[in-house]
Amino acid sequence: MNSLAEPRKWERFVWPVLASALFLLLWHYSVVWSKTKVFPAPLAVEKGLAELARKGVLWAYMGDSLRRVALGFGAAAVIGIPFGLTLGWYPAVNQVVNPVMQMLRPISPIAWIPVAILLFGVGNVTAVFLIFLAAFFPIVVACISGVANVPAIYRRAGRNFGLTAPQLLARVVFPAALPQILVGLRISLGIAWLVMVAAEMIAVDSGLGYLVIDARNSGKRYDLVVAAMLMIGIIGLLLDLCFRRLGNIKSVRWGFRDES
Amino acid sequence: MSLRRKILIYGCGWLLLISALHAYLNVNWAAVLNDYRPPAKRKITVAYIPVTCQLTCPVTDYISKLSDSGEIFLPRLFQGFPEIKEALISNRIQAAFIVAPLAIALRAQGVPIKVVYLGHRYGSAVVVKKNGPVKTFADMRGRTVAIPTRFSDERLLIFRAMKAYGIKKNELKMVEMAPPDVAGALAAGAIDGFSMGEPFPSQAELGGYGRILFQAREYWPDYMSCILVVQQSLIDKRPDVVQELVDGIARSGLWLDKGKPEREDAADFVGRFYYNQKPALLRFALTKPIDRVMYTPLAPRKADFDLVRDLMIETGVLDKKIEFEDYTDTRFSDGAKSQTAWRYEAGMGTAR
Repeated sequence: MNSLAEPRKWERFVWPVLASALFLLLWHYSVVWSKTKVFPAPLAVEKGLAELARKGVLWAYMGDSLRRVALGFGAAAVIGIPFGLTLGWYPAVNQVVNPVMQMLRPISPIAWIPVAILLFGVGNVTAVFLIFLAAFFPIVVACISGVANVPAIYRRAGRNFGLTAPQLLARVVFPAALPQILVGLRISLGIAWLVMVAAEMIAVDSGLGYLVIDARNSGKRYDLVVAAMLMIGIIGLLLDLCFRRLGNIKSVRWGFRDES
Repeated sequence: MSLRRKILIYGCGWLLLISALHAYLNVNWAAVLNDYRPPAKRKITVAYIPVTCQLTCPVTDYISKLSDSGEIFLPRLFQGFPEIKEALISNRIQAAFIVAPLAIALRAQGVPIKVVYLGHRYGSAVVVKKNGPVKTFADMRGRTVAIPTRFSDERLLIFRAMKAYGIKKNELKMVEMAPPDVAGALAAGAIDGFSMGEPFPSQAELGGYGRILFQAREYWPDYMSCILVVQQSLIDKRPDVVQELVDGIARSGLWLDKGKPEREDAADFVGRFYYNQKPALLRFALTKPIDRVMYTPLAPRKADFDLVRDLMIETGVLDKKIEFEDYTDTRFSDGAKSQTAWRYEAGMGTAR
């Protein structure tokens, strides 16, 4: 199979499953062969997951984590998209705001933890705020460059049809920039999910990030630690898949030139 | 000079510079050299965190370095119990000062360690905000209090006070925090109080934002929290080294309890060279009053540990009854009975 060949339907399904199974086998035998007493084997992790599910914390924690990410990411999208569109639309404003934003952007949300606790105390709001910070800047930057990359001919055509500025922004520029904005949203959702773990380790007492710390604190329960890590990975993957599906919708897809 | 050559020279120079800085700033040469000694002569590593419950560890190190026989072990500073626990489980340290319930829980979970000695007695306190709404422990209902870990005597202490006031388990919220973080959290209002070992109660008191609600001994007459554990493999292979370690700790305990001058001296060198805390803070914690923390008698006693174990089962952090003999080894404390205090005074430069 070369890189250009279209994989057949069964191949698309079978190979990833096979690779995952191989990974699990490798993991299992690494634990057996190295005789480690610390790192758990896949079966022990599965038992740990079952224990968490039985106690009822697994679903509750997953729900809490997803809710926090939805709130933080949602707020970042609601505020970030209009903000980014405006900055992209008015380059003069962008030049004023840009230096400050570029300085704030590389600051890891983790570094904001002490300040966030001072501002919002220890609780849900702090976690949501940190997730918001993580997601906000990638969205804004994607919007700015998305708008900047809209060909000038589209705008001129829009003006010729007599559209006012808000109409032009909403009906021409935004749809034209949408593919790029979606990429920005997808990236920032990934970052939000990463930061969720760190935020939940310090600020709250529920969620998957808390589960990692809680399992760590309960003595030699590394099966639970790995179980929590696994859940974080699986849900992150599912979130990303959902978002990619969103990008496949026809009215969004048009912006990509590789397909017609 | 060609560009390629320039890049090569600058690259090598940079590599040399950061290597030298790394070797100077980051590498603990004592530990590195120790790894190249023959196994029978290798020093053991003892983990501790910067609390006065574990003061005997740095004191022993400091004084033994001045003695003829030289240092007994390599101390390694940690910032919290989870890290020490991980180092213990993965066998990277041979001995550690940890809280008694954590030792019992780890032993119950199959980690091969044994308790050989205590670190101190008393010296933990429950602290609330100064001029805050909490006047007596009864006011703690519905509030949040920080504890070092769920496996700590400080948590059990809270339960003993709750029992005395008839407060139920779900009426008080406990959060786990690294000891160095609690004073800041109290000042910022993130928690309503904390139950910790010294010098953190003193820190809150001296900082003017904390008030000691009660000392541990008010609800727990023979209170102890940090104890010394060693790996079973070390006991089996090198019992003489364990004995030497326990002897050293015992001598430091006796030395610390000699009086105020010794306490003040210890506060000075431990604060500056080990804990990275202000000597004035440690001086306050160790001398006002002098029996805030005591360092004798430190031999493990069955009654104390049975009490801890039963409280752990009662409060749901231990699921099976484990016997005193299964997690302690009293050989070494028996062997240390005849020890005397270090003969050392500040500025003497030698110790015996």
